[in-house]
Amino acid sequence: MIEVKDVLRKYSTGDIDLIALNSVSLKIEKGEFIAIMGPSGSGKTTFMNLIGCLDRMDGGTYLLNGQDVSNLEDNQLAHIRNKEIGFVFQAFNLLPRISVLKNVELPMVYGGVPPKERRERALSALDKVGLSDRVNHRPNEISGGQKQRVAIARAIVNNPAVIMADEPTGNLDTKSSVDIMRIFQNLNNEGATVVMVTHEDNIAQSAKRVVKFLDGEIIDDHVVEGRKIF
Amino acid sequence: MNFLENFKMAVSSILSNKMRTFLTMLGIIIGISSVITIISLGNGGQNYITDEFAKMGANTVTLSVDPTKIEQSSDYFTLKDAKEIKSRVETVKYVSPTISKKGTARTDTKTKTANISGVNSDYALITNVEIVYGRFLNEREVEEGKAVVVIDQTSAKSLFGTDDAVGKSFKLGPVASSKSAIVVGVSKASSMFSGGGERGGPPDRDADNTPALLTIPITFLQTLYPSDSNISTLSVTSITQETAVQAGNEALNIVQGRHNNKTTDLYKASNSASMLETINTVLGTFTTFIGAVAAISLLVGGIGVMNIMLVSVTERTQEIGIRKAIGATTNAILVQFLTESVILSVLGGLIGMTLGILSAQIIGSFISITPSVSLAVVLETILFSSAVGIFFGIYPARKAARLNPIDALRYE
Repeated sequence: MIEVKDVLRKYSTGDIDLIALNSVSLKIEKGEFIAIMGPSGSGKTTFMNLIGCLDRMDGGTYLLNGQDVSNLEDNQLAHIRNKEIGFVFQAFNLLPRISVLKNVELPMVYGGVPPKERRERALSALDKVGLSDRVNHRPNEISGGQKQRVAIARAIVNNPAVIMADEPTGNLDTKSSVDIMRIFQNLNNEGATVVMVTHEDNIAQSAKRVVKFLDGEIIDDHVVEGRKIF
Repeated sequence: MNFLENFKMAVSSILSNKMRTFLTMLGIIIGISSVITIISLGNGGQNYITDEFAKMGANTVTLSVDPTKIEQSSDYFTLKDAKEIKSRVETVKYVSPTISKKGTARTDTKTKTANISGVNSDYALITNVEIVYGRFLNEREVEEGKAVVVIDQTSAKSLFGTDDAVGKSFKLGPVASSKSAIVVGVSKASSMFSGGGERGGPPDRDADNTPALLTIPITFLQTLYPSDSNISTLSVTSITQETAVQAGNEALNIVQGRHNNKTTDLYKASNSASMLETINTVLGTFTTFIGAVAAISLLVGGIGVMNIMLVSVTERTQEIGIRKAIGATTNAILVQFLTESVILSVLGGLIGMTLGILSAQIIGSFISITPSVSLAVVLETILFSSAVGIFFGIYPARKAARLNPIDALRYE
């Protein structure tokens, strides 16, 4: 379902080319729950931005659902992000001026879903993350854990092929982190594919598979034994 | 992403910072309102002048002698010319020769400078002189060169202390050789050309410093200024406005024949309609010019919109990143920011238009001009302010749309 081969990504800073990803290949099947680990600067976030279609690669191929997305136009990439990918960020990244419900509706606005259906789907996504009672609040009126749940609702509302989570528990206390991980595990149990970047071991242990990055290369790729269930 | 969706989104982000929105729109408001004020007052002024000319009579033709081409004193018009024109041209209704002189008006106690016009009895009908007391000069007085005078209301008041000066006498003419004349009529000061009060009432100006407007028989004037009273102007009124030009040409033929002058363009006929046209052209140019100056403030307002939109793009970099991450296309972002700047400009334009019309009404009521606002002006305002919004909004909107989603997301 996600298949990257020999992916190269480099940044030019002045005269020096910095290799962020060096010939990375990875295959992710439908229904997997992958934790991507590694120290800062190891290339894990760059990798996630690439498979999230936020960034372009300098070499290699990327097949998403069998479609080659390596050389698509900006607008086509936007369309793929809208339909196939749901993002959850460390800093939540909700729009502050609009309500929780409107935030969750936003991907469907860009996807051209009619308003009535939009509302229904947003409400059911919010119900799934247990926030049906906060739909008309503004993001600044709810807690961090609740914000992240809104972000998850926004990520799943278009039924994407894969959910990409970048340090989803990085800004949260332990209790909220547990709540968020439970939601991810439930979504995964229902069939969603989850790719999560994290540097916390106990969070990574709740995934089914761990991929470790160092200096732009994959140094370890193993199935989690004795997976932690929240 | 449809239009309504975009519109709602733009409105909500505009409303989220009301003070800034207002200040941004202020530039557009001031620009549009000053343009509208000036243009509607300018148009109103044109209408006013047109009306005044209609009162004066657009069917009047003025025959004049070109002073640079005169070779002998017999080139000037004569009283006989006036009579001939009146009797020979069918379409001519009234003819009056006119001589204008500067002089003084003196009573025992007071002296004023005076503009003295020598005319005949038709003059009142040609220029619509309004008589308040007494009567205008009659034919016999002109015929006999009687020492009678029609004085304007303001001067009557300042010379005699009363408007009704009929029957009183004072000395008028050149300072050295003034002669006594009897007042037979008091005229209302004409509204535009003598600087009188606009509603026809006595003007409240410094009456002592303004020259008296005296109208006397032309024959009497010739005795006052014996050496220098050539007639260089004949006013001819046609029966209708349509025949004015034709009447003027026929009158011109007659004077040319009578003075044996067929070849050079010594004599000229000019119609007040063509004068009106000239004045309107000048006024129109003037209005356009002032309007253009005001339009510069609109340009400044537009730059204000651009500035605030650029600030807004920077402030909302992260929002743009979020929107792009969840699927907003470049176009969607472009349209979003463009919609905001157009709403700002059009709203400012509409408010400015309202204020402009209001202030034109208020200023107009002070200078007694009825401002004229046309539908075209309203439509142009809306179109123009949208154009300002698009023109000054496109750069910030493109800047927003081209942001890289990763950089935008990371922006703090």
